Amino acid sequence: MKESVENTLSFLGGTTLLAGQVLRELCRWPFPTKLTMEQIYQVGIRSIPLVFITAASTGMVMSLQFGLGLEKFGGKMYVPKIVSLSIIREMGPVFTCLMLAARVGAGITSEIGSMTVTQQIDALRALGTSPIKKVVLPRVFACMIAIPLLVALANTIGVIGGLIVGANDLGLDPRFYVQKIFETVTLADYFSGFAKAPFFALAISIVACYYGLSVREGTRGVGSATTRSVVTSSIFILVGDYLLTKGFWVLGQWL
Amino acid sequence: MAVIDVKHFQKSFRGKTVHRDISFSVREGECLGLIGGSGVGKSVILRSLIGLEKADGGRIMIEGEDITRFSEKELTPIRVKVAYVFQNGALFDSLTVYENLAFPLKEHTALNDHEIEKRITAQLAEFGLSGNEALYPNQLSGGMQKRVGIARSIIIGPKVILYDEPTAGLDPYNTLKIQEMILRLKEKGVTSILVTHDMPTAFAVCDRFCLIGEGRIRARGTREELESEKEGYLQSFIRGEKGV
Repeated sequence: MKESVENTLSFLGGTTLLAGQVLRELCRWPFPTKLTMEQIYQVGIRSIPLVFITAASTGMVMSLQFGLGLEKFGGKMYVPKIVSLSIIREMGPVFTCLMLAARVGAGITSEIGSMTVTQQIDALRALGTSPIKKVVLPRVFACMIAIPLLVALANTIGVIGGLIVGANDLGLDPRFYVQKIFETVTLADYFSGFAKAPFFALAISIVACYYGLSVREGTRGVGSATTRSVVTSSIFILVGDYLLTKGFWVLGQWL
Repeated sequence: MAVIDVKHFQKSFRGKTVHRDISFSVREGECLGLIGGSGVGKSVILRSLIGLEKADGGRIMIEGEDITRFSEKELTPIRVKVAYVFQNGALFDSLTVYENLAFPLKEHTALNDHEIEKRITAQLAEFGLSGNEALYPNQLSGGMQKRVGIARSIIIGPKVILYDEPTAGLDPYNTLKIQEMILRLKEKGVTSILVTHDMPTAFAVCDRFCLIGEGRIRARGTREELESEKEGYLQSFIRGEKGV
């Protein structure tokens, strides 16, 4: 119990300090542009197939399930509204970020963990450079840019996936489907989902970098750090989703 | 004046004391050998000299400057003049040999690309590594990785070099190559500390020795002084007897 509390406090303190160091390095010239561009390619471009498959299948399955379920009550025409709202407000950002926590988060932790174990992180320090600037900042920044764009892509693909199933399997008119989407989904809906992406991106990248830098038990430690990284960032995404949804809802009431 | 001066250095890890009281100094141009069995914390001392580990007590002076409580930013100029050669080379595996050597030059000098290329070509030739510029670390042998590691560490011309087990796991040919390199750098006036339990290498390159054990310095002196010592632990260590 005591150890568990200590580990939790050490994690919270460590990630907060790391986020602070990233922010400080962000303000120091020069910005590692080349390294960041490489990471945007790794995080963004190389995740597109995964995001595409996740979003398309989510949209298609939701459309099919709601269509078949609501058909019994004569409510099939509500499928476009329900599916598009669910994807844009919740499913798009959450499912995409959960998949990216597994793909990107695990990749970052294992890469940095291996660098730690093979003393490459120490070598950076010994050569008078900052591992935060050279290793952490490019990955965090790349996630902050690429993940929201991937979420936007996932929202579009998910809605299109729902539309394809709606038209082909449920017999809904595609023009009716598109019309209902535009009637239902407002800009506020879109942003209440999309605005979660930067928070999730920060959680994935900071948690992944923290665990990578914390590897202490050789190659065995890299494996367990990677598992912890994926589990922790997934929990952050799921719990954070509720808190952010509630926060945006309260904000919406005020405005 | 001593280039490196360590006074009453103490270090513990998770409540376990590794060093209770370590004091030594290294004069300019001298090579000091830190010797001792595996796990006595020789590398911990070396890492502390450039702030990779923080001392729990005592003082570490580099050229008269107390670096014991320096921040990472304050340590940068120290790390430029004190190079660290890692046991396994610690080369950046995503970079080629050329890029590994170019890294410190790009970080700490204002050299242009042409000057960097000239410097790297000369350095690789000096270390017998010409023609390997485009290779990645995993395409090099262990001996070559260590030589590239040394080449990278010294390419910006440090005043002090800290060698952490530079000959560990190497065949006699590569061990000899590393010894020659260390001696060549010593002839140029570079101050160095060699952490090793490879006694032939230590005797070949070091001027003085400190035998580390039980968190303190158990013996110190030149090779002749150590060999004439009657201390049982020291003699067992030098002769490679079991239990050390």
